[in-house]
Amino acid sequence: MTTGWRRFGALGAGLAGLAMVAAAETDTAGWAPAQFTLDNGMDVLVLPDHRAPVVTHMVWYKVGAMDEAPGKSGLAHLFEHVMFKQTDDIADGEFDRIVTRSGGRSNAGTSWDYTVYYEQVAKPHLSRMMALEAERMTDLIIDEDPQGSFITERDVVKEERRQTLESSPSRVLQEKVFAEVFKGHPYEISIIGRMEEVSALTPQDGMAFYRTFYSPENAVLVVAGDVTPDEVRALAQQHYGPKVPSGLVSETRNWQTLPPLDRTLDVEHTDPKVRQPVWSRYYDGTSLFLDRETALALEVGLEVLGGGSTSLLSRRLVEDQKLAISVGSTVYSFLRDGGPSLIYASPSPGVSLDTLEAAVMAEIAAILEEGFDEADVRRVRNSLAASAIYQRDSQMSMARTFGAWVTIGGDVQDILDYPDDVRAVTAERALAAVRDVFRPDAHFIQARLLPETEAME
Amino acid sequence: MRHALNTIAAALTVSLGLAACGPTQPAGDRATPAAVEVSVYDGAFATIQQFTTPGGVSVWLVEEPSIPILSLQMAWPTGTISDPVGQDGLTGAVAYMMNEGAGAYDNQAFQMRMEELNMSFGCSADRVSTACSASMLTDNLEPSFDLIGLAYAAPRFDTGPFERLVREREVGLQTRQTNARYLAERALIEALYPDHAFARQMTEESLAALTPEAAKAHKDRLMSREGLLVTAVGAVSPDQLAPLIDGMIAGLPETAETLLASPVDMAAPRSVPLIVDLPQPQSLVRFVGPAVPRDHPDFYPLAVMNYIFGGGGFGTRLMDELRVARGLTYGIYTSVDPDSNLPVLSGGGTTKNDSAAEFVEAIQAEMVKLAEGGAEASELEDALLYLIGSYPLSFDSNAKIAANMMSLRLDDLPVDQFDRRNELISAVTLDDVNRVATTYLDPERYTFVIVGEPVGLAP
Repeated sequence: MTTGWRRFGALGAGLAGLAMVAAAETDTAGWAPAQFTLDNGMDVLVLPDHRAPVVTHMVWYKVGAMDEAPGKSGLAHLFEHVMFKQTDDIADGEFDRIVTRSGGRSNAGTSWDYTVYYEQVAKPHLSRMMALEAERMTDLIIDEDPQGSFITERDVVKEERRQTLESSPSRVLQEKVFAEVFKGHPYEISIIGRMEEVSALTPQDGMAFYRTFYSPENAVLVVAGDVTPDEVRALAQQHYGPKVPSGLVSETRNWQTLPPLDRTLDVEHTDPKVRQPVWSRYYDGTSLFLDRETALALEVGLEVLGGGSTSLLSRRLVEDQKLAISVGSTVYSFLRDGGPSLIYASPSPGVSLDTLEAAVMAEIAAILEEGFDEADVRRVRNSLAASAIYQRDSQMSMARTFGAWVTIGGDVQDILDYPDDVRAVTAERALAAVRDVFRPDAHFIQARLLPETEAME
Repeated sequence: MRHALNTIAAALTVSLGLAACGPTQPAGDRATPAAVEVSVYDGAFATIQQFTTPGGVSVWLVEEPSIPILSLQMAWPTGTISDPVGQDGLTGAVAYMMNEGAGAYDNQAFQMRMEELNMSFGCSADRVSTACSASMLTDNLEPSFDLIGLAYAAPRFDTGPFERLVREREVGLQTRQTNARYLAERALIEALYPDHAFARQMTEESLAALTPEAAKAHKDRLMSREGLLVTAVGAVSPDQLAPLIDGMIAGLPETAETLLASPVDMAAPRSVPLIVDLPQPQSLVRFVGPAVPRDHPDFYPLAVMNYIFGGGGFGTRLMDELRVARGLTYGIYTSVDPDSNLPVLSGGGTTKNDSAAEFVEAIQAEMVKLAEGGAEASELEDALLYLIGSYPLSFDSNAKIAANMMSLRLDDLPVDQFDRRNELISAVTLDDVNRVATTYLDPERYTFVIVGEPVGLAP
């Protein structure tokens, strides 16, 4: 999950389908990524795509919200903004100017597990972009003036929080829910940060964070587009090769497997802006990193159950019973330490949330009793596998998938194997995985987004 | 995230089921493959092959052999303004229903058939056009085109999915009441062109008046063989593509109405900001004023001026002052829409309610500053370097190239427009920019709207 990029899925739940797609078996011939490591420990990944003279250059750091100290929520994200300020050789504002004068676009994102920076440019400017990224890896200057750029950027982040979270009732609810789903685990930390904690972050916090986490051995370089591995190797050695490892980086970070939920809890958010209620439940899930076999089975099983308009729940509750406007299920399988399984629904006009909840849970029980139809499972498996081919149309999407996976410690081969592995999931295994999620004694966090009137009743 | 993305690609999920199930596929009415006459434009960004199929469809194709995907765009020059009086939303309903069942396939069978073929197909409509787009694997071209052809020839407009559409639209009518962007746009429309066809919108009454029968009849007024424009990018040749397209359109009517929009005569701008109350911690500020269409001599100077003022994100006058210097906002952007009937320069951003008044004043002050003081030579240089240097980024995927070609075609622009665009931008001088800034950035041309609970801007 990445701030900003969270928009990929309704209810923030779209990560599962997006997460692990790559070259499918019909298409791997003649295409493969290249991977190598510089002497200073920086990993490099090259994803060739020669259709247009364009490259996507990304640097991923193995640091995110999960690495923040207590009371410092939002530091990784605010720091991401500060990285666009000044270095000893680049004046304030010049970073963006150099990128745009090169015809480039840049942005960055922060998640629990990582922070990523990227530039997209025409190929001749790749070396310049690498020089910029290498420069700010080690030579950043943080403005300590109480009226200076760090403090102004902190105000910008507070506006970002107001715009993307506090003005959106569903996002306010989601922040509350994640704090419960991940309680006791570092993922309970709000990525964009609690307003009062962001307001108290200082330039000194920023510099300490930078010294600890920004170093070549804690970074992954990804270049997708019109390049060869040899070209990238030479440029990477030139720009990133001279960077000296800080030696301060933890190999293990705060990694700890997300424990199963140990309680069942209701979380509500009411807001006068809500015109359409939403019901959801978060159950235990897993991750592709921790338990690939179960994660693949859950991806398939929850897609059969609630993945789109042809899913079992959609057929029954949207098409037949007409109780829901939308219903779905998915798993946050791409978080390294594990993520929840999610079931959600929004009612048709005139249908109460209680009625909808009862109907959804009754259908899930009935479906899990009856079992999955082999044809449904086959269709879903093949959908998940073949989305890999379509992903090849986007450099950005390819770079993001491979980069995120390698940054959390995954093996490139896992992505290449995804189509075959997902096709190997049997109906029995998919069903068993979903049955385990909804086992009778399973705990869950239930979330309700409510209009003000309904809450007062 | 450092700044908001303007466009976010949707993740496609398409299946690779090779075994066909469901109703038997009818054979397409396919012409014998014959060599088509191709005119090739070898541009800097794409090599575009133009041809007309034996069936009479005009196609722009970019052959891209390296990935096994075909991106297909199909469009007609009639949009939502063709909705009959009292049936606002009908064109949108037609678009919605196009992948909800056809021939022997009910909506579920149709969706499953698309999943089996790993293809996507769907339609949408804006004010002046109706468009369908498809993605398919080159291994599955024939059955994929057949399925689209079936949707064009025999869409079912079944009651089940139609009633679902109505339920979804009912929810949409509710949720838009607290959607800040919708409220801002509506307030501007009501103030500036309340009586033009572009001001029409779906209401509870018009939604209640929609029927599957009306949608089915309206489809023939939107989609025909004659008016169809096609663009395609993928691993396919003109000789392969032409018969597939002709088979696909065999069931469409020969001709349809073309309903041309009339130019909008905007009312005088409001001197005082419009305020729409919405309980939230931030105010959304939007502003809009008249601009010029693409064929006007001021258009390219205005496009460059827009980049300097607020179109380019970081480094623009507005972003530098309101975000970087003052920390008032996560982002502020402007854009020029060259719609020939409603050309406008518009922009906006959000800020905490307490600073809404300062935000509006600062925008107006930046307008005056650029209009009266002009741009620096370095700003012009930066703008030209970006606008020209970044253009290749818009051509790095099949889907983007197909969409870009279609936008040319819908605007009736020539095949060499991608290259001409850069020449026209390069020719813009500092005098041009400063001249258009004086004219188009006069704050008195703009109507502002603020949605939220702004402080210091009582209505």
